[in-house]
Amino acid sequence: MQMQAETNLMSDADMAEEIVIETQDVNVFYGDNHALRGVSLDIPKHQVMALIGPSGCGKSTYLRCLNRMNDTVEGCRVVGKILLDGIDIYGPQVDEVLLRARVGMVFQKPNPFPKSIYDNVAYGPRIHGLAANKDELDEIVLSSLEKAGLLKEVQDRLHSSGTGLSGGQQQRLCIARALAVRPEIILMDEPCSALDPIATAKVEELIDELKENYTIIIVTHSMQQAARVSQRTAFFHLGEIVETGPTEQIFTSPIDERTQGYITGRFG
Amino acid sequence: MSFYPFLIALLLLSAAGYWFGSKKALGAVRQSTSFLTPRPHQFGLFVAIWALLPPLLLGVFWVVFQVMPLQLDAGTNQQIDRVFFPVLGLLAAAGGLFLAIRRIGPDLKVRKSIEAVVFGILILASIISILTTVGIVFSLLFETIQFFKKVPMSEFFFGLNWSPQTALRADQVGSSGAFGSIPLFTGTLLITFIAMCVAVPLGLLSAIYMTEYASDRFRSVVKPLLEILAGIPTVVYGFFAALTVGVFLRDTGSAIGIDIVSESALAAGFVMGMMIIPFVSSLSDDIIMAVPQSLRDGSYGLGATRSETVRKVILPAALPGIVGAVLLAVSRAIGETMIVVMAAGFAANLTANPLEAVTTVTVQIVGLLVGDQEFDSAKTLAAFALALVLFIVTLCLNVIALVVVRKYREKYD
Repeated sequence: MQMQAETNLMSDADMAEEIVIETQDVNVFYGDNHALRGVSLDIPKHQVMALIGPSGCGKSTYLRCLNRMNDTVEGCRVVGKILLDGIDIYGPQVDEVLLRARVGMVFQKPNPFPKSIYDNVAYGPRIHGLAANKDELDEIVLSSLEKAGLLKEVQDRLHSSGTGLSGGQQQRLCIARALAVRPEIILMDEPCSALDPIATAKVEELIDELKENYTIIIVTHSMQQAARVSQRTAFFHLGEIVETGPTEQIFTSPIDERTQGYITGRFG
Repeated sequence: MSFYPFLIALLLLSAAGYWFGSKKALGAVRQSTSFLTPRPHQFGLFVAIWALLPPLLLGVFWVVFQVMPLQLDAGTNQQIDRVFFPVLGLLAAAGGLFLAIRRIGPDLKVRKSIEAVVFGILILASIISILTTVGIVFSLLFETIQFFKKVPMSEFFFGLNWSPQTALRADQVGSSGAFGSIPLFTGTLLITFIAMCVAVPLGLLSAIYMTEYASDRFRSVVKPLLEILAGIPTVVYGFFAALTVGVFLRDTGSAIGIDIVSESALAAGFVMGMMIIPFVSSLSDDIIMAVPQSLRDGSYGLGATRSETVRKVILPAALPGIVGAVLLAVSRAIGETMIVVMAAGFAANLTANPLEAVTTVTVQIVGLLVGDQEFDSAKTLAAFALALVLFIVTLCLNVIALVVVRKYREKYD
């Protein structure tokens, strides 16, 4: 009942918003473990959607469904419908490899390849053939670094190793690397959990800028972060979505007791 | 008194020491006011060690003593060994035991003493293994110096002719002896090269399959199977090379009009490659597994396929380690003996043609030392020179490989 009421309230408020990802009754199983139970969630375009909830609640699992990264996990089974611009991404005609180029991902731990900064960013464009020649590739690499706010810091050492950067710079390099493939959606799985507060602030600032052109879905353990960067928030608990709505509403007047409990720090 | 009763008496003595020590500790130490005392069995162990250590040291001293014998006749010497040593040993044991039991009390740092003994045992074990290696090297070195007194270095290192038959008597004919080692080393290189051509692609590709493509269930079944290959005795591979592969190649060759000898380098190298496959694949497997999962995720997350991820991320990241693994495999192939003894033969041809027979350094070492030999002839001593060069080559390869592998390991820590 509560879910129902909430959904209505949400759709009234956001009628004008364009929905880019629509998930309907998604269930995920790792072997016998039922990790995600009947999750339905709409993700509006060019906004930041935060997924919060205690550890093991399924928020990362949900995130990894959206670009089919779960396919690389052995024994993982996804049931339900996930529509990206109206197309079921688990449908038979969809190539999950191309899907991942449209739905980019940034991981918890910065994971630059042990290559130069330039080659890290050029990796995606090269495998997808996005650049016809060296000049175009240069252009993609530089503009991606620029968008990720990293260009000034690294422009005089583009050919030194990406693993030699600081943690925060590495994470922004990973964001640049994802941007270089020109995705529409960027999934971020706790992108700041391995970073110090200053690096975190930079990444958050970047997320705020990126939402102009990209749809961002971010999993975070920090409720302050969710409050700072997101427009909408979904609260996961025990594999289900308990509550979803505009971030402000979730943090100021949550409907469900569990949400309130989690946000005020009574559990989780 | 002979040796075994002495040994049994010694062990009984130390067991008694253990018992007495524990017993006394229960009485003496438990009554002390100190709260934290060692356990009684530690006192027992302390006494037992003190019972065993003096006769052991005495034994070592005895052996060293015998190396520089007193000017006594053999009978007297043996008499001393038979009677004097066991009695002295038991006395030493009893003395140690007595002193140790007397020292038992609340102030005895028994745990530290035991720890010191353990420390000593560990150091001794590593010193023994290092000294053995050093001893082997020196014995090779001295015999090699002997060899180079008889045969000039220039002939050994630059001679193109290997025929190590020296005259046993002055009137023998046709046995001047030629000790040019180049044909042996080219033969070794040729066979090793062929083996690597077989082992590296197959081993590496199977490692890639196992780590990146195979399901966990398949991997858990097939990986042990692959490692069984590593457990086959090399002499069995030798059979296979000599009786199956060699003959098959010869027959196939004659069927299509190519002349292949049945002891060809190709057969030996091919089978040696088969032998090394599990070595390469299991090392590469470990190295590829060590590439962090996060790099794979990063690549997949950018829309790369599996093979793109393998070629552009995993292999470049693992390359130094794989190079190290291949170098280790090369040094194994160079040192491998049994397969080439059975399959490659003894003909020292200087050729790069894999269809001809060649011989290797290891085969010649075997040939030189098998049977009755004069120990000071150039022929026998040549084996040591060959062995030393072989040892140095494989040592260098191993050192390079280990440095490369270690450098690679540091990258992700």
